[in-house]
Amino acid sequence: MRLVLLVPALLAAPLAAQSVRDRLEGRVPAEAIATIDSLVQVAAQDSLPTEPLVQKALEGGAKHVAAPRVVAAVQVGLTQLRDGRDLLVRAGDLPPVTPGEVTTVVWALRRGLPAAVVGRIVAALPRPPRAAAMHAVADLVAHRFDPDSGTALIIDAIHQGLREGRLLDVSTAAIQELQRGRTHAEALAVVRQELPNVPAAPRPTRAAVVRARRPPGQQPP
Amino acid sequence: MNPIDPRIHQALDGEIARGNLPADLRRAVERLDAAAELLAAAAPAAGLESRVMAGIRRPLPSRARRLVRWLSTPQTVMVRIRPAWSLALAAAVTLLALVPLGDRWGGPMLGEHEGIAQFVGRFPGARSVHVVGSFNDWRTGTIALEGPDHDGVWRGALVLPAGTYEYMFVVDGERWIPDHLAEREVADNFGRENSIVIVRAVRR
Repeated sequence: MRLVLLVPALLAAPLAAQSVRDRLEGRVPAEAIATIDSLVQVAAQDSLPTEPLVQKALEGGAKHVAAPRVVAAVQVGLTQLRDGRDLLVRAGDLPPVTPGEVTTVVWALRRGLPAAVVGRIVAALPRPPRAAAMHAVADLVAHRFDPDSGTALIIDAIHQGLREGRLLDVSTAAIQELQRGRTHAEALAVVRQELPNVPAAPRPTRAAVVRARRPPGQQPP
Repeated sequence: MNPIDPRIHQALDGEIARGNLPADLRRAVERLDAAAELLAAAAPAAGLESRVMAGIRRPLPSRARRLVRWLSTPQTVMVRIRPAWSLALAAAVTLLALVPLGDRWGGPMLGEHEGIAQFVGRFPGARSVHVVGSFNDWRTGTIALEGPDHDGVWRGALVLPAGTYEYMFVVDGERWIPDHLAEREVADNFGRENSIVIVRAVRR
């Protein structure tokens, strides 16, 4: 029985490696492919998500970035993934943490959230998904809200039962108050009073839905 | 005009015996008696007022008033149901409610965890504008925006799984330009900024 389980696992790694090389071939400088591939394999062995690294390499190739800079960017990406996983574990997530959550934390760090803020969000939302909460705080920080105050608002919203996309509505409401001329503190106070009834983001119009197309190669679910 | 012989009046009033009248006057009295009987037998004629009112047709109320009256009056409606057809109708209504949004509107069928990403950029004078990002493996030239309109604005919309994506516009196949209307951006680690789009599931 163990052998039956082990054989597919042993076959899966080389197949995954081959598929990464196939995806990079012709799209990334040839001299960078071997190094990038090895970095992707390291990530896989560490149970880290590999797709962000592949995407970074493909992005570098599409932008005609020189091979050493593509490799450097992928190396930075691997470091960020490790940092994200470690941060999740420190904040209380039990290993193995899911690749999706690691990616979420990396997004938050790349968008400029301090590690302490990310830890507070993780503690407030013990169970995933946390991506929207991270983005909501990052949106506030990007608009020069105090990170701690912004985090407190989003955590208040979480405590009042808001989840996922609704948390983005909270940050959007605060930013709109700012655009109406309120100070940062006033904007946060106004939105905190509205919780949990902040306005919801408008749904896409009928025209937008009709016009929308899937990217080539993407299959409908 | 011939005056009526006074003896006829007297005979009709019973003042003299009819047998004492000459034959021609007696026949005249008999004809007048017969006419009087006919008049007595006929139904009394209606009065003038009632005859005039009967001649005037009563106007019908307007259609709207009749409709309102019909709607506000209790009606007895009898419905005969075939159970098989009723179940089929219920199934059709349920199916319509469950069919994904896009399919109902004539666009692409949206999955439960899919949403719409909309892209808008103003590039006056551009010959082509493509959107490139992590949603299409950064393949250039595959997703063209539509345009330009008279203001030089290019537009596009994509069906994507809910999530976060990095992207840029590629103008005329060579110029990489971030989306200046995007609410979020992040360093691309190549010295520039990528725009970020967060796709939320439509069926939330």
